[in-house]
Amino acid sequence: MKITLNWLKQYVDFGWTPDELSERLTMLGIEVEGVQKIGGEFDGIVVAQVITRHRHPNADKLSLCRVNDGRGERQIVCGADNFKDGDKVPLILPGSMLPARPGQPSFPIKVGKIRGVESHGMMCSPQELGLPDQVDGLLILSEDARVGQPFAEYLGRAGSDVVYDLEITPNRPDLNSVIGIAREIAAITGNPLKLPQVEIAEGNNPADRLVAVRIEDVELCPRYTARVITGVKVAPSPDWLRTTLEKVGIRSINNVVDVTNYVMLEVGQPLHAFDYRLLTGGATGVAAIVVRRALENEVFVTLDGQERKLSGEILLIADESKPVALAGVMGGQNTEIQPDTTNVLIESAYFKPQNIRATSKRLDLRTESSYRFERGGDPSICEWASRRAAQLILQTAGGELAVGVVDAYPTSVQPKQITVRPQKVNELLGLELSGAEIENYLSQLELFPGIRKPCPVGVERSALEPLTIRVPTYRVDLKREVDLIEEVARLYGVDKIPATPPRGAIGSNEYDAVYDELAAARTILSGLGLCEAQGQTLISDSVAKLAGPDGLVPLANPLSSDMNVLRPSLLPGLLDALRHNLSYKTVDVALFEIGSVFSQTEKGNTEHRRLAIAMTGLRQAAHWAGDSRDAKVDIFDLKGLIEEFFDQYGVRGISFSRRSEMTTLFVESASIHLGKLRIGEIGQLLPTLARQYDLRDAVYLAELDLDTVLLRRNPGKSFKVLPSFPAIRRDVAMTVPEAATHESVMQVVRQAKPANLEAAHLFDIFRGKHVAGGQKSMAYAFTYRHGERSLTDAEVNAAHDKLVEAFRQKLQAVIRES
Amino acid sequence: MSFLEQIEPLKQAALVELQAAGDLTALEQARVTYLGTNGKFTGLMRQLASLPKDEKPAAGKAINLAKTELENALSGRRSELELRASVPTEPTDFTLPGRRRVLGKLHPLTQVTDDIVRSFRKIGFVVANGPEVEDDYHCFDALNTPADHPARDTQDTFYLAGCGEGKAPLLLRTHTSSVQIRVMQQQPPPVRIIVPGRVYRRDNADATHNPTFHQVEGLYVDRKVTVGDLKGTVEFVFKELMGPETRIRFRPHYFSYTEPSFEIDFSSALTRRMGKEWLEIAGCGMVHPQVFENVGYDPELWTGWAFGFGIERIAMIRYGINDIRLFYQNDLRFLKQF
Repeated sequence: MKITLNWLKQYVDFGWTPDELSERLTMLGIEVEGVQKIGGEFDGIVVAQVITRHRHPNADKLSLCRVNDGRGERQIVCGADNFKDGDKVPLILPGSMLPARPGQPSFPIKVGKIRGVESHGMMCSPQELGLPDQVDGLLILSEDARVGQPFAEYLGRAGSDVVYDLEITPNRPDLNSVIGIAREIAAITGNPLKLPQVEIAEGNNPADRLVAVRIEDVELCPRYTARVITGVKVAPSPDWLRTTLEKVGIRSINNVVDVTNYVMLEVGQPLHAFDYRLLTGGATGVAAIVVRRALENEVFVTLDGQERKLSGEILLIADESKPVALAGVMGGQNTEIQPDTTNVLIESAYFKPQNIRATSKRLDLRTESSYRFERGGDPSICEWASRRAAQLILQTAGGELAVGVVDAYPTSVQPKQITVRPQKVNELLGLELSGAEIENYLSQLELFPGIRKPCPVGVERSALEPLTIRVPTYRVDLKREVDLIEEVARLYGVDKIPATPPRGAIGSNEYDAVYDELAAARTILSGLGLCEAQGQTLISDSVAKLAGPDGLVPLANPLSSDMNVLRPSLLPGLLDALRHNLSYKTVDVALFEIGSVFSQTEKGNTEHRRLAIAMTGLRQAAHWAGDSRDAKVDIFDLKGLIEEFFDQYGVRGISFSRRSEMTTLFVESASIHLGKLRIGEIGQLLPTLARQYDLRDAVYLAELDLDTVLLRRNPGKSFKVLPSFPAIRRDVAMTVPEAATHESVMQVVRQAKPANLEAAHLFDIFRGKHVAGGQKSMAYAFTYRHGERSLTDAEVNAAHDKLVEAFRQKLQAVIRES
Repeated sequence: MSFLEQIEPLKQAALVELQAAGDLTALEQARVTYLGTNGKFTGLMRQLASLPKDEKPAAGKAINLAKTELENALSGRRSELELRASVPTEPTDFTLPGRRRVLGKLHPLTQVTDDIVRSFRKIGFVVANGPEVEDDYHCFDALNTPADHPARDTQDTFYLAGCGEGKAPLLLRTHTSSVQIRVMQQQPPPVRIIVPGRVYRRDNADATHNPTFHQVEGLYVDRKVTVGDLKGTVEFVFKELMGPETRIRFRPHYFSYTEPSFEIDFSSALTRRMGKEWLEIAGCGMVHPQVFENVGYDPELWTGWAFGFGIERIAMIRYGINDIRLFYQNDLRFLKQF
């Protein structure tokens, strides 16, 4: 909401500069979003008259003048030559600014010596003031200019003002008005709030002979007042009204409509003016105002020319034959004020906030009026606001006010009473205020105690006795004790409440340990050379389907089709990250992300933590030498990384099993198992997809179900005695059919259980020369060791030969003699 | 010449030749010449057998001494030559770039979150979490923001599709405050938690908005908790996060789930670098009694405070990052800076 400094000053006195006001409002909880100074470029410049002009004692081209500025005489040194005694000229007083020219800062005028003589101000040329007149020398003003008059006023320009753009929190509808803000300032300065006097002369016609009001739904409209003014002359608004509205961003329409807007901004009560003549009955007898719900599919054209289809939840202002306004939101075209309107009906009502909000939302129509009503107004102010509007209409458009007001107000609202305990105030704020101090702070906000129990003679009233406070109806935010405590805090000054060092209970929550487990995973992964990514949770359904077509969680109100489902996998996000990096020529990328993924199952929505990894480009940071400097990452880089991660993370029993089919994502992939549980997948991205993402090198991806991994994690460590007896190594190189896997070799080893075998290590796989097609050569090193003694060659050979025999039998292995 | 007389000249000749060997090959040749199977010195030793018995002990001793001397000279010379051979022919250019073992980096949001968590843990807070897909109750109603409340605008909230009819509508949480409710429903007071996590607002992405962002929420419920405690804790945490010279200012504000409510501004070299004395950084307040009643805590016995702030905002201020979207592009040139 916008207000201006000058407007505000009409209702309360304060001596703050514009910046100080801004600071004070901020500290009261009224955030100042913008401050705009308008006009005022001639501030501190007055009309002055030259009394005498002499030559400067030390300079031929300068004059020494005595000048009357309207308050007294001052001495000015001047370099111009086009003036004489008695001329009236613009004078900048010391401390004011020479107006800025475009692109230059404004220049402050000070008392200073010119060639040894003091000069108390500066007389100006039109060029210096940025005025269009071209004069060689001072701007000579007309003879009838009043000495001492502000120069801006002489020019007929508006004086300076400051427009504040305030952010009003939704709990304080009473602050959506200039008087509301003034009331806050009155509270902290102690200066009185100056409300306009609205005693006005009424004519002869009683209002209730001109209009009748019938409220059909009292719940939605607890109060409706109507006043009638006859014989107005609709015309453009006077300057003060037009400029006041324009400064706060409201377009001036005509004097009658502008008054309704002015009063709304002034006191916060939205008003509406109808052309009385266009209301049924208005031309002849008694106009009828009916407050009713709209009929289903009733059609109505609002002031903005839009035809709107209504429903039964929408409240209408109607006459006996037609709707004339959307209650609290916008008037109708059929009864709007016309240039030739002569009789005006002023509506000032209170509508149920929830209903206005629903209507406004349903019709997607937000107005200054709906904004105020939906936040909750003050039913008590309706009549006053209507009177104020009538006063200003009479003042700006003439006419005669009908006697009295038609006020349909079946149940008047009563001020709430709230009890506040000083002890509770102190407990919550950490202060030690007495009841009297608390009462004092509250009374500054017009929050006065209601009836008090009489105090027995001779008994001192306890400083901590509860106070029962009567809450004005405009303070809809004050509902219970704690709300009053907040008011005490505001008036006391939140900044003055002393801070106390942290103390009290130690917290506990089961997630605390999980947070550390996730942090440990991140530390290991970054230690393995991966950078951490954070992807968008919202992605497009088309890429989400890459991770599987089922169980997507779509949004009901997405911003765009790029972000219309919750991610079912972290991989699409990582692919986006790869594309982004490659598009900026970063081609070697290794990323991981830990985050939540979402899916829909028959049981409902699920949310799981996952870990995903993506790698592409060079295996090692680029270097200038080395055999493998150009090596690109392959699937075993990623697999090894995962194996190392699990090892370091304390997870054992991981296995990989190849999937025979391609997937929507992978040209070749494997499931990752933890025991019998499938916990993820690893694979190479389909080259066709890689092309779509503009990825050039092969891309390897893996994704793991981190929640399951956390459950199976055993990071506990225990010491094993270091071996003290030597190991014996036996190597085997054998050719096996291609179908034999490393895992099948290891399975044979596990079944054969060679005595004292400590480790088996694959150290070469070879195809080609000397190896038949459909075969491959695999070379393993087997290490034998006994914990308590040295082994003999003979016993190792016996165990090892058995193992080799098992390879021959089970794998059709041909042992290569070396 | 007698046997003994032959030893010394041959040894001297051998020593000269060993010493003269310029490389390991020449040294090996010299060794073969004298000490090899058919070498001259080996030949002399063979003659020892044919000496008369009484000459043997003296001759044996002398030739063994000479042999030891030769072997020492040989190994000494070999060490010298090996050392010489091991020196690179060209001196190493130590200004050449090393072959790096590259560490990955934690995301700046992770680093800032960890710092926040570390500061809170120093003063007894533990980390809690909750689901990102929430219902109206935990995200709004229980937080004293009923359906017709102006602060609850569907414009800002993402709802999931297909949850309208009959079922409770599901949404993406708009703040981490929903976790306050879940934790208080689940455990009796006192409570002392912080909740870092993702939240969602229906804002188009620009330099200061992303539909996904991160918040951290703090909640402390105990007997006789005051606004003073809230201020003390906030000051502690922000000094930890933003440096010891950080100043904190509280302004009255409005949140439906706290009363009184405040906004927190901070001031430090960082804000002054941005041309501002005070910069808004967080919202907070004393937990509204209605919220306590909603979770079954007695507001007469328990008081508490909550506060929340955006993690991106902290990171942006701390590192001088000018566009929130950078956090979600995962550009390595960005990630590697932190």
